[in-house]
Amino acid sequence: MGSSLKSFIKDVRNAKTFSDERTIITKQSAKIRTKLRDDHLSSSKKRENIQKLLYLYILGEPTHFAQVECINLIASDQFVDKRLGYLSTSLLLDESQDLLTLLTNLLNNDLNHPNNKYIVSLALSTLGSLSSYDLAKDLYPDVLHLIETSNDPFILSKSLQCLSKLISKDFELTILSILPIDIFVKKFFSNNKNDLLLTNNVWLGICKFLQSIVILLLSSFSSSSNSDLLSDQFLTDLNHCFSSIIPKLFYQLSSLNIKNYESSYDVQGVRDPFLQCEIILTLKYLFKLSKLSTNHFISLINDHYNKFMDLLTQLINNSSLNLNKNPNNAILYEITMTIFELEMDQSLRLLGVNILANFLKPYNNNNNNNNSTVMQGKRSKNNHINNSNSNNIKYVALNTLIKVIKYEPCAIAKHRKFISQCLYDTDISIKFKALELTFTILNKDNLVELTEELIKFLKDIFSNNNGTHDYVYFDIDESNDLINYTVDNFLKKCDLFDSNQDAIKLRSLFEILKIVGNMISIDQLNEFLIIINNIENWQVKINSLIENISNNMINNRIVTNNISWNLIMVWSIGEYGDSIITKANGNITSNHLINYLNQLNILYSQNFKNPLISNLSINKHSYSDYITMIQYILTSALKLSSKINQSDAHNIESLRQIILSHQKDSNLMLQIKSNQYESIFNQGINIKRIILDSMPKFIKQADNNNNTSDHNKIQPNQNRNNNQNELLLDLLSDINDNLNQEKSTSSGPITVSNNNHNSKPISKTTTLTLPKDNIDLIFKTDLLEVYSHIIDVQPGNAHLELFFKPIKTFVKSMHSLCAVSKQQKLTLGHLYPHNTDIEMNQIVKQSLKIVGSGKLKLRVKLTLVTVSSNSISDKTQEIQFDYKFNETI
Amino acid sequence: MTQLRYLLLISRQGKVRLMKWYTPLSSKEKTKITNELTQTVLARKPKMCNIINYSDHKVVYRRYASLYFIAGITPDIGNELLTLELIHRYVETMDAYFGNVCELDIIFNFTKAYDILNEMIMCDGSLAESSKRNILQTMTAMDSMDNHDKLDRVLS
Repeated sequence: MGSSLKSFIKDVRNAKTFSDERTIITKQSAKIRTKLRDDHLSSSKKRENIQKLLYLYILGEPTHFAQVECINLIASDQFVDKRLGYLSTSLLLDESQDLLTLLTNLLNNDLNHPNNKYIVSLALSTLGSLSSYDLAKDLYPDVLHLIETSNDPFILSKSLQCLSKLISKDFELTILSILPIDIFVKKFFSNNKNDLLLTNNVWLGICKFLQSIVILLLSSFSSSSNSDLLSDQFLTDLNHCFSSIIPKLFYQLSSLNIKNYESSYDVQGVRDPFLQCEIILTLKYLFKLSKLSTNHFISLINDHYNKFMDLLTQLINNSSLNLNKNPNNAILYEITMTIFELEMDQSLRLLGVNILANFLKPYNNNNNNNNSTVMQGKRSKNNHINNSNSNNIKYVALNTLIKVIKYEPCAIAKHRKFISQCLYDTDISIKFKALELTFTILNKDNLVELTEELIKFLKDIFSNNNGTHDYVYFDIDESNDLINYTVDNFLKKCDLFDSNQDAIKLRSLFEILKIVGNMISIDQLNEFLIIINNIENWQVKINSLIENISNNMINNRIVTNNISWNLIMVWSIGEYGDSIITKANGNITSNHLINYLNQLNILYSQNFKNPLISNLSINKHSYSDYITMIQYILTSALKLSSKINQSDAHNIESLRQIILSHQKDSNLMLQIKSNQYESIFNQGINIKRIILDSMPKFIKQADNNNNTSDHNKIQPNQNRNNNQNELLLDLLSDINDNLNQEKSTSSGPITVSNNNHNSKPISKTTTLTLPKDNIDLIFKTDLLEVYSHIIDVQPGNAHLELFFKPIKTFVKSMHSLCAVSKQQKLTLGHLYPHNTDIEMNQIVKQSLKIVGSGKLKLRVKLTLVTVSSNSISDKTQEIQFDYKFNETI
Repeated sequence: MTQLRYLLLISRQGKVRLMKWYTPLSSKEKTKITNELTQTVLARKPKMCNIINYSDHKVVYRRYASLYFIAGITPDIGNELLTLELIHRYVETMDAYFGNVCELDIIFNFTKAYDILNEMIMCDGSLAESSKRNILQTMTAMDSMDNHDKLDRVLS
């Protein structure tokens, strides 16, 4: 093992195995520890050790043992030692450490170093990055002194940056900062001679300083405790200063935007976009202060706001010419954020929307090539940066549009063509954002158009999934997420369809089912059923069903790989069999329907009994889905038996056979159902007709309504036909008890939701309930409960779900992160429903797939914002817990 | 505005080449961020955009040859597009300093890479110097003082 830094790095790099590397690192680390204790070591050797230590730091090794050594290095009078000392101190220490007091004297000396400005600058940088409360307090006067006396832009710029950091550490210093702001105005803005001082880096410092002050003022206004410290006099003086500085900022900004090329600050022909953005942001802060605060700063708005808006308009005009330059776009983006945050006039807001819409437009990136001439020789690999450039502006544009849609919904909806184009972007994150935005702009006027667009989009993803695309640009999990997101949100938006648009609505729903039917969940399917059930236009409904059914049934072709489609068809036959037969004018007969049910019954019975030889594509659907499917078939057969011509004994018998076919089923649920249905089947036709009538309009309860669809079917009938049902109560007692309970507890909300249903589409949220088996409460605080549900555990992999349920308050922006032990790898799904805001007692779930080996252990970290009803303030909370499962993979 | 929370330089193989934190975090949190971001960023496909939503903030990254420059920025006020330019400016400055910079330059001269970064970005991650020339001048001046000191030591 060599002794120099270079050979150490080489050794580490050449290590063949991970354990070799560990050995080298541990050895070296131990060696450094011993060496550092040696006082007689030459300073060049000391430096070498510290450098090696820094390399260890980069490798992520512990380095705390050498912190004092680093500080000692600063004490040397050699520049070379000081430089390394400051570098290592600022890296190895952070603001929270007590050791920082050791720095006070050293920094004090170096800040006042008489003839080496680089030492002063190193001290300023370090103080800026390590400013504890004490250091800030002690060294504040020295920094101020530098600003007062120095005439070197290099030092001034750094002192200003440092000062901005110090005042944010301690509010009292801000009160004292009446002093610097006085000095500040005198120093930089009193006469024209000062122009020499005002280089770009000093401007950056000035901006930073002003921002710091405004941020402090804003936060002190919002928390009442500090605001009494602010005297009127102080605020008036401050206002005066701001007022005199704003025109200078205007001038500087417009001259940056117009003046000629200067190579040192140039970025692709744009002059110092960094400073331009910084000035815009500073002005934004100043006007925000003026808008939000007490009347002290109102004059800023009165005197300068119009000028500011003019200036921004002018900047937009100048910059819009060159949309393919990223620095230009950065400035435009900064301006847009300013416009919306200050809620400027509509004319400017429209300009802002247009800028963002322009970002979405595809354009030629070829001019962008001068961007990346760095690291030549490997330039070919850099090309993607240019490609992704247009993606970056698309991403920020979509993101911003989603944020600002509340200000200009119509103007944004006008650009839907460009938004829709982004749906077909190859970048999944852009697809998601575009989808989110599409649903936000969706309204009655563009409903039909956007629905078509969404169906087209689903087709596109589906063909990606099935490899019919020439290229596969993202994986199946991601596209399933996209599909689920689309279907969920579309179902929510279905309320927007007018009643005279029923035909379109049904056509769209069936279209969606045809495309992605085998990828959506049974929960989502219930939504479909409800929407179909609730369509009032009988004519339209039946015609649409006939159209869809006839294809399958008459030609004796059953769709084998679309369980959702089949389920809807089966359900429709049960509900509307009679109307379908009458309306179809002999094209569809009861024979067709029964035959169809029979075929599906055989298909799915085989399937769930022999999953291995299944000829269905098992996509998302599992054993339990097949059972659900068979239950639907049974119900449908039962219902149909009351709707067809009773004299047709053959048909009636066929239906009876379907029901009987599960009488000895190995699945208990199906067996019970089969037997129960048989006894209903044998009732007289009059009783049957009443029990098995079509479902009435389904009225959603606001929340918590996640009955299985079977319950839905029976519950309303029970309401009306209590008397006739009495004789069934024994048979169906388990279900009935359940239902009666639900009915009695929820009778209130039903009437309430009746009103909601028409006025508030929000009530149509997809809600989840906890699965009944395999569910464990793994964590509980007074705030929320977390359950786990194990779906599947096999050697090597496990699939489980977590359910989060806030029990005290409404929870906003919840994010959850999970970790597993080192031998395992975790794939974390999105929160479902796609919503980070959760009502009280509502449940969201997240799926986890774990591969690897060992015991199942989980660490969960949640960040969330709680909203309590009695206080305005939202509180961010972090919850972390560990949980050990009994299972091992 | 560009206010960085951290800047990580990570190689194609997932090795950290440089890291600088502008907000105080525990070493545990640092490791977590580094590991998670390494995984996420390396898995991104070339045509994807350079912006990621990560925990409570945004991350902007850019790839140069075999090296990824990954910057965490403050949400809401951070300008993602400008951050990309900031990263580029850093790379350009290193390119001028080292003369056609490559990953090896940064590995073996990481202190210089840090020095350049510290000239550009100060305090809690805000830009202090936007001129490439000024940074290079400062670096040259400090390097010559270094050499002067070393020479003195040899002569004495």
